[in-house]
Amino acid sequence: MLGLAADRLRADMNRLLSFLFHQGILDEQFLQLQQLQDETSPNFVSEVVNIYFHESEKLLRNLRSLLMDREFSDYNKMGIHLNQFMGSSSSIGAKRIRNVCLAFRAASDQNNRAGCLSALEVLEHEYCFLKNKLHELFQIQQQRVLAAGVRYPMQH
Amino acid sequence: MATMHRVVQSSVSTSDATTTSYGGLTSCKAADIVISDQFPAGLRVLVVDDDITCLKILEQMLHRCRYHVTTCPQAKVALNLLRERKGCFDVILSDVYMPDMDGYKLLEHVGLEMDLPVIMMSADGSTRAVMKGIRHGACDYLIKPIREEELKNIWQHVVRKKWNENKELEHSGSLDDTDQHKRGHDDAEYGSSANDATDTSLKPLKKRSNSKEGDNGEIDNDDPSTSKKPRVVWSVELHQQFVSAVNQLGIDKAVPKRILELMNVPGLTRENVASHLQKFRLYLKRISGVAQQGGIANPLCGPVEAKVKIGSLGSFNIQPLAASGQIPPQTLAALHAELLGRPAGNLVVAMDQSALLQATPHGPKCIQVDHGVAFIQDLVKSESSSSKHFSQSFAPVEDVASGFRSWPSNNIDTAGPSNSGGLSTQNGNMLIDLLQQQQQLQKPQQRSTVSELRRSINVQPSCHVVPSQSSASFQAGNSPVSVTQNGSYSRTAVIDYNFLSSQSNCPSLNIGQVSDVTLQTTGVLSGYIPLASVSPSVSSCSVNADNCASQQVQTSSITFKASRRLPGFVHSTSNIPDPYGSTKSGDLLNQEPFNNLGYINKGTCLPAKFAVDEFQSHLSSSSHGKVFCENIGTRVKQEPSMEFGDNAKVGIPMLQQFPPNDLMSVFTE
Repeated sequence: MLGLAADRLRADMNRLLSFLFHQGILDEQFLQLQQLQDETSPNFVSEVVNIYFHESEKLLRNLRSLLMDREFSDYNKMGIHLNQFMGSSSSIGAKRIRNVCLAFRAASDQNNRAGCLSALEVLEHEYCFLKNKLHELFQIQQQRVLAAGVRYPMQH
Repeated sequence: MATMHRVVQSSVSTSDATTTSYGGLTSCKAADIVISDQFPAGLRVLVVDDDITCLKILEQMLHRCRYHVTTCPQAKVALNLLRERKGCFDVILSDVYMPDMDGYKLLEHVGLEMDLPVIMMSADGSTRAVMKGIRHGACDYLIKPIREEELKNIWQHVVRKKWNENKELEHSGSLDDTDQHKRGHDDAEYGSSANDATDTSLKPLKKRSNSKEGDNGEIDNDDPSTSKKPRVVWSVELHQQFVSAVNQLGIDKAVPKRILELMNVPGLTRENVASHLQKFRLYLKRISGVAQQGGIANPLCGPVEAKVKIGSLGSFNIQPLAASGQIPPQTLAALHAELLGRPAGNLVVAMDQSALLQATPHGPKCIQVDHGVAFIQDLVKSESSSSKHFSQSFAPVEDVASGFRSWPSNNIDTAGPSNSGGLSTQNGNMLIDLLQQQQQLQKPQQRSTVSELRRSINVQPSCHVVPSQSSASFQAGNSPVSVTQNGSYSRTAVIDYNFLSSQSNCPSLNIGQVSDVTLQTTGVLSGYIPLASVSPSVSSCSVNADNCASQQVQTSSITFKASRRLPGFVHSTSNIPDPYGSTKSGDLLNQEPFNNLGYINKGTCLPAKFAVDEFQSHLSSSSHGKVFCENIGTRVKQEPSMEFGDNAKVGIPMLQQFPPNDLMSVFTE
């Protein structure tokens, strides 16, 4: 039975991954990330992604607070936050987020505050979506590990 | 560069790079570029990025490349780290936009203080940003997301930088720009990363134009934005002064101190003169052989009017030299062939081949003032050639000193004298280059060592060894086992040297610990030029050595000492199973050729003075040499143990000057 579960879990995981790739939410950089995971660092992907989430939330908060500020004018500062967000997002393979960041940056270059705001909202939305999906992915992986770890008592 | 990765049939155990801890660096990274296909594993990388996500990813990727990684999220902390641990990093990866310090500022600081290659990274890949990076002197500019393949090649920047610095060091003001451009383009060939094309071609050119400040520069400063290391550029005028001083004193009595006094050039140190003198002597030996072939010199008759100007292969001044009609036709033809067909580095081969072919044991030693220019060019040639023929280090054992023309003929294997000679010279040149580059990287306090290194380098050990990998860079106070593997070439040899000389208490220097195997290896290499041999020996050690890092350290240290002392080893090493496949029988040491070598006459007084000044002070203990001696003696043929036990004076001078008589005496005893 557990064997079936393991298969099911693997199928779920593959389905989710192919969905994410197909939708352009993730790109091959994520594959690189997965390749970096090995015996010496078995949880590499989840570690990195968790760091990413943590940092991204900070950045998004900063961006929002900057833009919400009535006297907002420091596009430079926003650009720095944005640049970092874009860098980390592209490093983990979050393609859609990165594309939104590009649009965000374009608006910022033009000092288009309204454009920045709307871009920020899309960004937040995309980020939440990605976060959910990746959490789901990690959950499946965890279950797979558990399933693989179960041992049937040997009957002699 | 596939050529850089030579597979060496040695049991090198490579350890994967680990993060952060230096002490834990292991092994045998020996991976010299040439020696083992482990290179560039162990390259010490410092990553600076405020983005933790990227930092973690890069760290993992660099681990995969088997580099030694240190991460730092803050630029200021990174800068302090660099300042504290100078010489502990080979390359820096830095983000552009950082909250506490601009990446460009960090780049400038690094360029000013440490002169390490810095690679910028950013999510911003606009041309404007990339251009800015280049202008600030970045070696490369990577755009995030960074792929592992891009990181795999970052070692090229380390290599290129070292070579460029070495070339600049030897670059005299008389060389024209075409030469520089050509070298710049050659360097560009090595670039493989996406953004390299602009970077590599621009950077070397920029560096060169900056270093070419004035012909009479005694101490030239590089472009401040990249480096502030003072260098002595032996311009034509300076060299003329030097040569006239030497002539005045007489080549036998030309001591660096007296030369310096005579030259009366402010800012010139005795070490500069000493190293230049060394090169000059070797140069004279070399050209005297060519001159003879051209029927110009009569070696047996004492001072000979050898007006042969061996065209500097490195530079492209063949025309005037050819026009002067003083280059032997074969040489000239070879030179032209090489010039047309291959990069400068190859010219050395041709050149040396013909020179070596024609070399006879009876080389006249004559100091000619008009050798000055050719000499400088020769230096340049050797520099450039060395940089080009990295991988060919194997024939070398025999080569040890290109100065020994006779050697190549003896040591050459069936391939024929010309081949070996050429190769060896190349290798030697490469080594010299590397070593000299290393010297440049060294701190000023190590100047004397550097100059010694330079001196010895000129001897042109044919050792392939590219200093970088093998020379476990020693860290002060580290345990013997902690051999830092670094991908940097230059550092290793120099560091070894300094380490040996300055840290006498270093347990790793205990020669006694060296195993036979390593000793053997050392012995093989010991014959190589003193300093230059450090790197080769180190690398060879790594090649043959076991996994034990300490062994390597010891080996290298031993080698280092040994190389200093036993010029004769070069030959004797032949019988040692040479990882590089060169098989020189013990009879390599052909004493006959040495009979007439050396304008140094009996070569006693001068070398002794020479040696005492330079080497004595740097040898941690004569006992080291002694111990080494004994060990080597058992391994290497024709290694009279007394050699080592003897005062370093004997050995050192011999190494440097290779006076034939001394060599003879070495073996007769």
